[in-house]
Amino acid sequence: MIKKHHESIKRRFIHEKGIIGSNGFAVGRVHGVCGRLGRERIVEVVRTSDHQGRQLRLVGEGYEDFWKGIKTGFEAKYPDIKLEWVTAPYGEIVNQVVNMAGGGDKVDVIFSELGWVPGLEDAGLAAPVTDLLPKEFLDDFYPEVLDSFNIDGKPYGIPLYISPYVLYYNKNLFKEAGLDPDKPPKTYDEMLRMAERLSLLKDKNGNRVYAFGQTTASVPVSGASLTAMVYNFGGEVLTADGKLDCDNQGFHDAIAMLKTLNDKGYNPQNAKLKDLRNLFALGQLAMYYDQSWGFNGVKSINPDAVNFTASASPLAGGKGTGQSLLQSHCFVLVDNGKKDAVDKFVEYVISADQLNGYLENLTPAYPAKKSMADMEGVVNNGVLQGAAASASNVKRETFIPALNDLNLELCTLAQAVTVSGKPVEEAISAFKKAAGAKIQ
Amino acid sequence: MYSFVLTIPALLLAIIFILVPIADSIIKSFLRYGVKNIISGKPGVWNNGANYAKLVSSGMLPNAVRNTLWFVAFVILFQFLLGMALALVLNAKAMRGARLFRSLMMMPWVVPTVISALIWMWLFQPQYGLVKYLVALLSGGTVTSLAVLNNPQTALGGVAVAALWKQIPLMTLLLLAGLQNVPAEIVEAAIIDGAGPIRRFFHVTMPYMSSVIKVTISMSIIENYKQFPLFWTMTGGGPDGATTTLAILSYREAFVSMNLGSGAAVTTLWMVLMIVTISLYDKVFRTPDLT
Repeated sequence: MIKKHHESIKRRFIHEKGIIGSNGFAVGRVHGVCGRLGRERIVEVVRTSDHQGRQLRLVGEGYEDFWKGIKTGFEAKYPDIKLEWVTAPYGEIVNQVVNMAGGGDKVDVIFSELGWVPGLEDAGLAAPVTDLLPKEFLDDFYPEVLDSFNIDGKPYGIPLYISPYVLYYNKNLFKEAGLDPDKPPKTYDEMLRMAERLSLLKDKNGNRVYAFGQTTASVPVSGASLTAMVYNFGGEVLTADGKLDCDNQGFHDAIAMLKTLNDKGYNPQNAKLKDLRNLFALGQLAMYYDQSWGFNGVKSINPDAVNFTASASPLAGGKGTGQSLLQSHCFVLVDNGKKDAVDKFVEYVISADQLNGYLENLTPAYPAKKSMADMEGVVNNGVLQGAAASASNVKRETFIPALNDLNLELCTLAQAVTVSGKPVEEAISAFKKAAGAKIQ
Repeated sequence: MYSFVLTIPALLLAIIFILVPIADSIIKSFLRYGVKNIISGKPGVWNNGANYAKLVSSGMLPNAVRNTLWFVAFVILFQFLLGMALALVLNAKAMRGARLFRSLMMMPWVVPTVISALIWMWLFQPQYGLVKYLVALLSGGTVTSLAVLNNPQTALGGVAVAALWKQIPLMTLLLLAGLQNVPAEIVEAAIIDGAGPIRRFFHVTMPYMSSVIKVTISMSIIENYKQFPLFWTMTGGGPDGATTTLAILSYREAFVSMNLGSGAAVTTLWMVLMIVTISLYDKVFRTPDLT
């Protein structure tokens, strides 16, 4: 009984964020949030009203304080459960969890990205959430969202919040180019027409303005964004049973569009998302695709971005309808026989009480639960409003263990048709060879 | 017998911490062995060299080998030339403030590699990087677009520059130590015999430094063969595979794809290539006996 009442939940929370040093030297980097607290420099220049005391604490102090608050609040509510943080650099979280598990020390809950779920499941580190969480709690999640976590018919993660790749655009630059800032493009063809004008602009320092940003640098999240772009065109990357599926028109159209964007000089070459956020914040990029929470990176560079940023649904291309890939920060649960404590913890965090301020001020995103749909922090978020409809126009990605490596191969393909200038067919052929070997 | 007993601790350490892991890695390179095997404790399954076959069929191996060899050769060549030049300057009697300069020069070496990578990544940043600005300034505005790490033709060179910046200080320090151990009387004798500075350098200084040079370059070959953080941080192996070295390929196979058997196959080939390189180097550059 004592053991039951003193269950220790080992968890990890890691977030990614741009940090701006005092010299203005911007460094996109990763850092653990809880555990070694006070080590991070979080420069968060956000102003807010003081109408809700708890949210104020989140704003201005960053992620650390949110998770610190979770620990304090949770342990006060459930004094018989103790939370223990385990930290690691963001990019190393999966390796850290695996190494610990290899040594016989499994954490109970992992703060994860959706794309990490198949790898964790393949490693035997993820349990079906239906085994650990009550049905009534799970029934509150949008079915299609929970479906995105399915492997062999069971969901292996539980989302805190979700986002498709939304189109952020700079209303000021639209006005300068003589475009209506309230009418963002809906299709790639419209975007290309607008890009012609936008690309003629210069910022106040005489730097060129890029019209459209699609990340293609060699990091897995760029590959996920490229997958979303393929979905925009109605294409596929994988079949439902996890085989490579790139001989389809949507896939070809998406890669051809990347080449067009590059040839016209609209897209910053080989850029990471954080590069695009920098350029957007500095007024050197008119539109770009990002996860909704990427706006936080923009805002940390230029607080004034709140005034010129708007969002729109992903563009439709070819025969596609502008479907996108769902992204999420989620909990992956490990079945260590602590079902009751894990359930209490997950339900405590994924609640309007805890996430309202977080989503409003720190990580703009859409709720994954029906009961959170009308949260003030989401409904009143001006930046997210334009893309609100896109959260329901998403496509489920087939999970394979080598998903991250496949994403890196997609980046290589994008780079082949852009910086290397290779023809689309030749590049896709090389992609098929490399990616096919990876996922055989 | 007594001397053999004294070597036992060292032998045991070498066997346990070097030979056993190497053998384990080679065995795993022939297995279907993933992360779940570690966690569940289940052994891998023999897969008849499928890991090696996959590396060949993916077409990534030749590119990784080529990039690794190019990087090692480029960095070592320039590291030696620049390190030797700096060591000669610092060894000159007329050089004032040499001690201070020597201390300052070591700064890049003490900067953690990942930090060096981030610094150079931002220096090379194509839109607002300092390198782009300086090139535009020096070229009188004729070169306005310079994206070193975004261009498959120059990306490997960009990473090599960062590696040189970080590694030249140590090379210089070691070569300087070698220079300072060249017997002064031999140099004086050469001067009396009428040997000029160039002849003295190649026929007196270099032969006396040969053992230092050999060790220093051997260390550098190994260091650059296994260079990973600069590549992973600065380019992640891109663009278009231009900086995918064996270190990057191994990491991707083992820790991105979570296929430890395939990762072990890359490291096995990598180890063989490094042994061949060092052996060839050892054979070609034999140290003359000057005693």
